Amino acid sequence: MSQLLKAEITDCQETGPGVWVTELLAPSLAQAAVPGQFIHIRCGEDSDPLLRRPISIHAVYRRSGLVKIMFQVVGQGTTWLAGRRDGLLDVMGPLGRGFTTLTGEQTGTAAVPRLVVVGGGIGAAPLYFLLQELARAGNAQQVKVLLGARNAEHLLIHNAVKLLGFSVGVATDDGSAGYHGPVTDLLAEELQLKLDYVYACGPAPMLKTLCGMLQYAGVPGEVSVEERMACGVGACLSCVCRVKDAGGMETYRHACVDGPVFAAGEVVW
Amino acid sequence: MNTLVNLGGIVMKNPVTTASGTFGFGLEYQTYVNLQRLGAITVKGTTLKPRLGNPPPRIAETPSGMLNAIGLQNPGVERVAEEIMPQLAALGVPVIINIAGDTLEDYAQVARRLDGVTGVAGLEVNISCPNVKKGGIQFGSDPFTASEVTRAVKSATELPVIVKLSPNVTDLVVMAEAVAGAGADALSMINTLVGIAIDVDRRRPVLGNITGGLSGPAIRPVAVRAVWQVHRAMPLIPILGMGGIMTARDALEFILAGATAVAVGTGNFVNPRATLDVVEGIEHYMKEHSFNEISELVGLAQRDINKE
Repeated sequence: MSQLLKAEITDCQETGPGVWVTELLAPSLAQAAVPGQFIHIRCGEDSDPLLRRPISIHAVYRRSGLVKIMFQVVGQGTTWLAGRRDGLLDVMGPLGRGFTTLTGEQTGTAAVPRLVVVGGGIGAAPLYFLLQELARAGNAQQVKVLLGARNAEHLLIHNAVKLLGFSVGVATDDGSAGYHGPVTDLLAEELQLKLDYVYACGPAPMLKTLCGMLQYAGVPGEVSVEERMACGVGACLSCVCRVKDAGGMETYRHACVDGPVFAAGEVVW
Repeated sequence: MNTLVNLGGIVMKNPVTTASGTFGFGLEYQTYVNLQRLGAITVKGTTLKPRLGNPPPRIAETPSGMLNAIGLQNPGVERVAEEIMPQLAALGVPVIINIAGDTLEDYAQVARRLDGVTGVAGLEVNISCPNVKKGGIQFGSDPFTASEVTRAVKSATELPVIVKLSPNVTDLVVMAEAVAGAGADALSMINTLVGIAIDVDRRRPVLGNITGGLSGPAIRPVAVRAVWQVHRAMPLIPILGMGGIMTARDALEFILAGATAVAVGTGNFVNPRATLDVVEGIEHYMKEHSFNEISELVGLAQRDINKE
């Protein structure tokens, strides 16, 4: 159940160029959150910037009640947020529909499903929490993680993901680390073998390509999208994402309550 | 202390409601707000047929405000009456349904459908939506058409009718007089101000609809002025004041200018508890300043100010 709460900032560090990780002490949030969900943060005390900023949950440590968010500084709100080293943060959450963490029975095919997790740029942020959950479920050896970034410096979670025990493939736009080219090329290789499910988060062009590949290969999956958001609870109808409904008709769904995670085949790009 | 108000026949236990379109159908905010503490719940603009709304992006943040161009996305009056109203009626809080249409007949049909639906306490006629091609603001920028819409709705329903006015007109008082003359039981003001935001990096408008409606604290002085002017010209018609209310003190500005009731809109997005904070803050203010009746505060700031 989502709540309005004051979360204590316990740490805030720059972990990449303009990318920050803030750690919050928020036991109720840590208990309730599932991967892919986000928190809605008030960035300031006055009316400028006015709106809350939706930021995905990056990591959760239930026993210590800690929640981490990872975000890129892009404007007024995130600049403010990156400047907070302690004190209380006004937060709503957890919000949204997260990833479905599959078990072998659910896929109905393999005893332990073969999963690929694909992250592009700052889109890697919520995938770490997903991988934490997959690691807890003991599926580590069947998961392949593919991470794309502009260059080696901008690679975000690859070391942490390796520590969870997952095998990681890396692609960079300039070839400064791993494969020289788009991360979706690495996915194409993975699709040569049988895959049960793909999880992805990243820039829209990457997700568009990825959804097309999955559709062609007949592999199901989920993608997390980003839309401009105001209320975060399905009231203002701002953050619409165009999707196909069960009957194939195009309609709008809301990233805040119906998403931000959507079935890969559902999104109309 | 008595905070009960009568907004043109809608009896509210306190003067606080929600601005249409910012609170969904109320149920979305149940986790954060005890809805039963509200004076009334004003729900999303409802049309005869379901509407998909405008293409995204639908919002843009601006200094102390935001532009929106949702485009009246709603499930249509039938679903509102059949599926949503039973849930809302169970709360026992007056529900005000904002209605919109492309034609006079649309407005009348929506009003007729909602007449007698349990829990519906009144209608707010949206003749000021800036984000739809047909209807909306067209009806709200000409006094004659505005009075025609008002008459059409009034003759289709027994419910109290509030007409929501647009600030995007030359003279708001002329519009207020026209709709009051056509039988409006109350007026609500203001709807959003039309604006454009441009993405300088992309060199394109931010919103898919190009123009949007500006709301939030940025418009508050404009809204307070609108309430002031209309109350001054027509002191007897109750006004539902709105525009950038975030706190009880903001709401009190509207009441002191002449509003009988107030609506929290964009403020809900910033603080999901804003409505309750306003209810509690008004009660606290009344206690602190020894006002027993909320009606004593309505228009009080205009006392002893001479009319030109």
